[in-house]
Parts: sequence; C-alpha cells; structure tokens
Amino acid sequence: MPVLTANSRRDLEIRRFPLLVYALVPLIALVLQAWLPRLLRGYVWFDLPLVVTIYFALGLRSPIQGMFMGAGMGLFEDALTHHAIGVNGIAKTIAGFLAASVGVRIDVENHTIRVMLNFFISLLCSGIYLFIYRVLLGMELEWSWVVELIKAVGNSIIALVLFPLLDRVQIRE
Amino acid sequence: MESFFSRYRNPLVLLALLVAQIVGLAVQVRRVDSGRTSLDSQDPAGVRLIRLWANAIVAPPERAIHSSKLGAGGFWQNYIDLRHIREQNQDLQKTIDRLRLEQAALLEDARQGQRLQGILNFQEKYIYKTLAAQAIGSSGSDQSRVFYLDKGSAEGLERDMAVITPDGIVGKVREVFPHSAQVLAINDQTSGAGVILETTRIRGILRGNRAGQPQIVGILADQRIQPGEKVLTAGGDQIFPRGLPVGVVEKVVRDPDRDSFILVIVKPAAHLDQLDEVLVITSTQPRFSPEGLQDLATSEALKGPEAAAIKEQKKASEIMAEHLPGLIDPNAPPDKQPLLDNSNPNPVSHPPMPLHPDRFTPGAASTPTVPAPDAATPETKPKPKQTPPATPGQAKPATAPKPRDTAPRNP
Repeated sequence: MPVLTANSRRDLEIRRFPLLVYALVPLIALVLQAWLPRLLRGYVWFDLPLVVTIYFALGLRSPIQGMFMGAGMGLFEDALTHHAIGVNGIAKTIAGFLAASVGVRIDVENHTIRVMLNFFISLLCSGIYLFIYRVLLGMELEWSWVVELIKAVGNSIIALVLFPLLDRVQIRE
Repeated sequence: MESFFSRYRNPLVLLALLVAQIVGLAVQVRRVDSGRTSLDSQDPAGVRLIRLWANAIVAPPERAIHSSKLGAGGFWQNYIDLRHIREQNQDLQKTIDRLRLEQAALLEDARQGQRLQGILNFQEKYIYKTLAAQAIGSSGSDQSRVFYLDKGSAEGLERDMAVITPDGIVGKVREVFPHSAQVLAINDQTSGAGVILETTRIRGILRGNRAGQPQIVGILADQRIQPGEKVLTAGGDQIFPRGLPVGVVEKVVRDPDRDSFILVIVKPAAHLDQLDEVLVITSTQPRFSPEGLQDLATSEALKGPEAAAIKEQKKASEIMAEHLPGLIDPNAPPDKQPLLDNSNPNPVSHPPMPLHPDRFTPGAASTPTVPAPDAATPETKPKPKQTPPATPGQAKPATAPKPRDTAPRNP
C-alpha cells in the first residue's frame, strides 16, 4: 500500500495554472483596482491585488512564490500612489508568506476557511501598513479602523465570488 | 551550511525581501526640521522609474476602457444632443454676445486694478492658457487621493501646474510622464493650497482628511465663520491663481490636536469623486491674454456708436474739468477762494437779500431744503473741484456753464 508522505501529499494538492493566467489575472486586478474607484465615486472598499495574492499563495502552497507575488503586487500598487514605494510591498510580502504557510497546513478547498483567511489577512495587512507608516517611517497618517474593517469584509465577499471562478481555470491532470 | 539554508530557506527569503524594501523606504524619506519625517517632494530617479513603469503598464488598458466607454455612451448621447441643437445654438449665441459686453466692462475694471497693482509693485497672475485633459485612472487606494490624466509632458504638462474644472479647483500635477500625468487632489492628506474665506477674509491652508473631505487647517477659533461662506484660492502658494472657487464652508469643528484652533470642513465646488474632464493651467501671465484683449475689442465694436458717444462725453467732461475755474481751491486760504476773488471777470452773482423773508426763503427754520433744478448731474460734474452746497443767501452761481452744453463747442 503506497504511503503518502507530507511532501508528496503537498505536491498532489498544488494547483497549477496556464502561464497566461499567472500574467493576466494579477494585471487585470491591478488595472481594475486603479480604474474601479472612478466608477464607484472614490469608495475603495476592496483590495483586488491582495485577494489575488492570497488566492495564488494558497493555491501554489509555496511561501517563496507567495512572497514574490505579494511583493510585486504591493510595489506596483505603491508605484501608482504618491506614497513611498515599499509600504504596500512589505505588507503584501508578509501576506503572501502567511497565506502560503497556512495553505500547506489547512484544507484550502473549504470556501468558509478561504473567506475567513481573506478577512484576517486583510486586517493584518492594514495593521502592517499602519505600523510601517507611523512607526517605521514616523509619518502622520489619519486612520480609521472602521474603514479597514469594511475593506476586509469587501475583500472576503470578492474572494467568495472570485476564488471559485479562478478554480475553474486551473490545470487538472 | 547547506542544510541551514535549505532548512530556513523561506524565512531567509522573507527576511531578504523585507530588508530590501525597508532600505528602499529609507532612501525615500527624510527628516524635517520639526523632528518628523516626510517624503521628498520630488521622487529619486529610481523611484520615478518604478512609477513610470507601473504607469506605462496600467495607463494603456485604462485609456482603452475609458475610450470604449466614451465611444458607446457618446453615440447615444450625440443623437439626443442633436435634436435641440439649433435652439441651443441660438441661445448660446445670445449668451455669448451678452457675456462679451459684460466681460468688456469687467476687463476695464481689471485693467484699472492692474494699474493700481503696478503702483503697489504687486502683480496678479491671470490664467493665460489651459489644456483640457481626461481623468483615466486613480491610485486605487483611499490613502492616496491621486488620479491620472491622459496628457503628459509631450502635450506640455509640467509639475505643479494647477488642475481645475469650471466649478472649482481640483488639484495640482505631481508627476509627469510622457503621455500621462499624476494629479494630487485637494482632498488628499498631503496636499496643501492657500485659501481665503470670501467674506471674513480669513486665510488658511486647505488639505484633505481621512474621509477625503477638504478642510482648512491652522485657523484660530472665530465666531464669524459660518456654513455657506465661499472659499477661494488665496494665490500665495504659487500654484493656483488667486480668486478661483474652492467650495463653501460645510461646518466648523474643533481641532482635536490643537486647542483654540478649528477645522473648517469645506464642501468642494468641483465634484472630486466624479471627475471626467479637467483643465490644466499651463501658463499664467501678469497681463491679459491676446484672446481677452481681442474679446475686449470685439465688444467695443459691438457697442458701436453708443460706446463711442459715452467715451466722447467722458473725454469732454474731463477736458472741461481741467479748463473751468474751480469754485473752491484747496490750496488757497479761505479769504482768497475764487468765489471771493474780485479780479474774476465773471464774478459770482449773489441773489439779492429778500425784503420780506417768508417760508420759501432759503435758510428758514421750517423750510425743507429743495435742490436746485439745474444742479449738475454726477456724470457732468467736474470731479476734482466740486460745487459747494447751496447755503442761505448764496445760490448756485449763474455764470458757471454747464459742461454738457459747452462740450461740443470746446472739444
């Protein structure tokens, strides 16, 4: 009887996507994140790049890939703002690392777990952002945790819709 | 050693990524005099390059989405618009004619203001040239109230140019790329514009708060500031010309950080959340633009004979005022006033004293003062030397000619 070691089980559960998906989905997320607030009259109650980062980090189950994806998305977001480049980068690097690390240990097929994970990582990301801005950089920044809470809920709702859609484009062997 | 790296590969990569980004952050901030840190107003070359790349990737899809949205919506909109275009055109033509005349009058006032400013060695900048641009994207973050325009350095945009709409100011150009530009809106926390309250003339600095509302900071508590008061640009920030509308006072709240200071929350005149087309002020000049002067000439021509007659009349009055003898000389002592001068070939004739004063006699206690029927009108009265009011026993001089009557004879 074949015995599955931890590594081989992990390898079996790793999701793979067409190369185009790796390139297009993050790009679409970044473009929509920059464009949608104009339609929604400035209300930015979601963070699409973070949701996409969490999805790929959970699916790939590789902390290194999750970190690099998070760093890339975060730096890109920073570059579109007028703030220092790296604040979002650090926050999303940690988010990618955590999502991938958790993804190895828990059942990420469960929608409830994925949505809850999104909610908590979103809040953590906001906390890291605030910490870097106020403590590390020592700069003034008005902050509202209510807005961040709404944003975390918004991310969870988007994840609820987006994750099953992205599941459909993965390569099944 | 190899096993150490393979065992702790993930934490080591995480550490390396974090350290690299923290070092990157450190080169972007600097300590200011107050002990706090702030970002450089101008990005370092490396940072600017990253922003340029990010913009180059995001801007084309945004532009495509925007133009396709405009194309689809524009077709139907054009059909609706064309239905009443003729009536609208006639109405607009009438409005243009009326505005031209009004503008000519305003330009005259402004010219006079310029002359006075010249005397005071203070020159006001006027909007000279603007460039229309479309807002195509945003930063995607509520912590950064910036948006992107579809015009860049290739179209003549530069840093720190003011961005406005016909309703009011919007922001300033913060970063310029070849075919796009980043604009910092006035409701961002890091923005700053010099503003003045229209009625109370209180000055302050406008910047945004966490909720994206513009607020005036640095104002001492003042009971006179009431909701509804207009807020205008003060012109001292070297970005926005003076007098542009900013918005109206929405409410006044106490500054939580500083006692005896207040925050004036402003409702912006421009719709900052629904921006589509904006104007970038690409040039300001201390004098009127050729277009303005051309409009002035056009309106003068439109006024035609009426304007010429008024001008001629004004000129004749001024000449008359210079040539006519004054009734009161401010430099002469009281006993040498022209009214008392015996050498005057046309002496002032005093009315004879009444033999039997009655209630119609000037100066009678119960008699109301009745102005002389032939009193000079304000337009024709010589300005520097005014006729003294009628006093008891001294009527209006009969020999003083009326300027209007003599003007044609003495051009």
